Amino acid sequence: MRTVAIIFGGRSTEHDVSIITAIASVIKPLELAKQYKVEAVYIAKDGSWYWDDKLKDIQLYQSGEIDEFMRRAAKVHLLFDNGLTLVKSSQFAGRKMYKKIDIVFPAMHGTHGEDGELMGLLEMANVPYVGCDFRASTVAMDKVLAKQVTQASGIKSPSYIWFRSDQLSKPNEPLNRIKDLKYPLFVKPAHLGSSIGISRVEKESELMNALEVAVHYDDKVIIEEAVPNLIEVTLPIMGNDELRPALLEHPLTKPKDFFDFDTKYIGGGKKGGSKGKKGAQGYSEIPAKLPKELYDKAEKTALDVYRALGCSGIARVDLLIDNKAGEVYFNEVNPLPGGLYAHNWRKAGVSNVDLVTKLVTLAEQKWQAKQKLTTSFSTSYLKQF
Amino acid sequence: MLKSLVYMYRLRFAETIIYMLQATEYDVKAYLRWLWRVKDFEKVSYRRSLIKTRRSSMLLLAIKLGMLVQFAVAIAWASLAIKNKEPAGIFAVDLFLSTPLVWSHLVVLPLVLARWFWVQPLNRVDVGRSKKSFQKHRAIKIAVAGSYGKTTMKEILLVVLAEGTKVAATPANKNVAISHAQFAKQLEGDEDILIVEFGEGAPGDVAGFAQTVKPDIGIITGLAPAHLDKYKTLQRAGEDIFSLAQYLDDKNVYVNGESEALKSFIKPGHQLYDGRQAAGWAIKAVKSSINGLSFEMTKDGKNLKIKSQLIGEHQIGPLALAAALADKLGLTKEQIEKGISKVESFEHRMQPRQVDGACIIDDTYNGNIDGMLAGLKLLKSLPAKRRIYVTPGLVDQGAESAKIHRRLGEAIAGSDADLVVLMKHSVTDDIVAGIKQGKFKGELKIEEDPLNFYTNLDQFVATGDLVVLQNDWPDNYN
Repeated sequence: MRTVAIIFGGRSTEHDVSIITAIASVIKPLELAKQYKVEAVYIAKDGSWYWDDKLKDIQLYQSGEIDEFMRRAAKVHLLFDNGLTLVKSSQFAGRKMYKKIDIVFPAMHGTHGEDGELMGLLEMANVPYVGCDFRASTVAMDKVLAKQVTQASGIKSPSYIWFRSDQLSKPNEPLNRIKDLKYPLFVKPAHLGSSIGISRVEKESELMNALEVAVHYDDKVIIEEAVPNLIEVTLPIMGNDELRPALLEHPLTKPKDFFDFDTKYIGGGKKGGSKGKKGAQGYSEIPAKLPKELYDKAEKTALDVYRALGCSGIARVDLLIDNKAGEVYFNEVNPLPGGLYAHNWRKAGVSNVDLVTKLVTLAEQKWQAKQKLTTSFSTSYLKQF
Repeated sequence: MLKSLVYMYRLRFAETIIYMLQATEYDVKAYLRWLWRVKDFEKVSYRRSLIKTRRSSMLLLAIKLGMLVQFAVAIAWASLAIKNKEPAGIFAVDLFLSTPLVWSHLVVLPLVLARWFWVQPLNRVDVGRSKKSFQKHRAIKIAVAGSYGKTTMKEILLVVLAEGTKVAATPANKNVAISHAQFAKQLEGDEDILIVEFGEGAPGDVAGFAQTVKPDIGIITGLAPAHLDKYKTLQRAGEDIFSLAQYLDDKNVYVNGESEALKSFIKPGHQLYDGRQAAGWAIKAVKSSINGLSFEMTKDGKNLKIKSQLIGEHQIGPLALAAALADKLGLTKEQIEKGISKVESFEHRMQPRQVDGACIIDDTYNGNIDGMLAGLKLLKSLPAKRRIYVTPGLVDQGAESAKIHRRLGEAIAGSDADLVVLMKHSVTDDIVAGIKQGKFKGELKIEEDPLNFYTNLDQFVATGDLVVLQNDWPDNYN
């Protein structure tokens, strides 16, 4: 039986979301599939790695016992031995435990995980892993880069500008550029997901405050125009070469609200409310009720975005639709959507167990295809020295 | 191995023993057969656990005390023997080691004694009284007998006839003499109709019940292998069930025409019910969907439009018979149609449920081959994105078990299921053989941990799936 390591947690503002994704949406169905030995690898907020079966229990994190666990548990080392091996001191007689990993299932969101860093490490180890590769992840998780790449492929985005956080010390130049945009605007950290640090700005006097919030989280900030007559939709997609879209999902928020962290994960979809129970699962319209032509256009745009960014495995593409004009704009891409958007896949006819097993299969197929590439080239260069 | 051996010397072993007694309904023979078959007592209590009742609590206390005393005596004897250097002390080890063996057998003694000297004499008195009570009662008495489908038939009749008459029926699946006696005690005397379920357990049971209840109408719902430890053959079980028809001189006897095994017992005076006719009523315009059934019944210019929440075409026969009997007993067309529409699906019997947009048909109380074939027919007939069939197979099928399960496997192969999940048990290989013979084209999974599968069913299904779950495998058959 092959071993799949689920890596989750991490040095990210979305650390807690990652725990839920890993335990509820990945580990549980993968274990039920009974095709793999499942190992839980937790990256703490300080970046330390732990590997233990106890880490599969949500109670450990909810009760706060994770701190006690980390005080006692040995940290994990990684061994690159034509693959990836987890190494842990056994605490007795100086012996070490080794666990060869056949496939990695990253379940991380945001920085130092979803943004390609972890995928780079896994590429170095030459181990199959689920989801987008490090190139696609890096581009997708940078909202500015993602828009630049998709625009080059003819995909529309709302008008935007961007700047680095150090430019805010001399704000005149960026503020002058913002004058070219029409209010209301959205100010966003360029690299964060789960809508963290995003502000909606109705007028110029609110702008500096929104910018300060954004640069608190990120060193790169994007400011873009709001789309009028807005319908916000999102589409989970899976596949490497042959793509399978799930269903276009329309989050049900009030017109002036937007999809911030609380709305997504705590308020149950009702901004300011607390009645929701299922986080990202209880407040969407699936499939989005759009005229067929507009639905098809949005689905095609999302698939084009997925291909343009070189996504593989799974990703979720967010779109903004001007309902009156019938225009579809690219908003952003999540290379590893929270909870894998399993609720949407279920509606599309893919069970939780099927979803994770298909993703693992896609990871293996992608890795096998990559093995056919030549990685060495004989030269006489060294002999010249 | 060592772990399961150690478990027998823990006090939790006592709970396992009492659970086994309770699960076999304190049937000493069934309990002993199970006891001698078990290899790992730690895994006995799998699906359920001991329910604390007065009887189980008293037995548990007795067995725990007994085990503790035997342990204590053995330890004290061994200590003294070591101190006095007596070689006979070796028997103290025997005494210690034999504790679970002794008490797992000794526990049946109070049951046997109580049954002989207390329960059976009292039951005989109660049954004797009930015979008089039934004889005096003015109501029309309907007896329902058969290896399967009795409870469903009785419940349908109860709901439909209640629209126009005062009707009482034996509760749940209580269908033995003492249950009939308790039912008779609770009657008010002014009921118009009594419906009594006859359970068959051993040769002569049904004939005895008929003598006690003295029914006016008999319904025979089906014949399939069950209780073959007592009946030995299906023929003998059928003969016992048809002793109800014999009591009624083969008049006012209604027989399920869809049960293959019943056909050789049918006599000219018997009236059949099935998907095409019921007691002379013709059935047409059948529509079956996940939301229920609808059909029309006609006889001698009369017409009934039936709409039911029950699902599966195998329910047409029982529904139609209930409607036909209701008409015979004087209910109006409106009362009959209203009564039928009120019949709700019965728990774990073709009971539809929604899980994340998937339709789950819970038929886990189905324990006979005819019912299984009906479920597979339903699976094939209903529209779905993906069809999933889940079963452990059937228990208690006697010498015919391998043949029946190969037949089941072939039916599974022909059901157009995309995924078949077999709960691993002793009959799995026979089902798989049938599935292979039927050239099954879908995916086949063998599930080692049924409870885990059922508990996490939501993880395996998605919107548009149709899942039929048939039969459950009780712990005492493991």
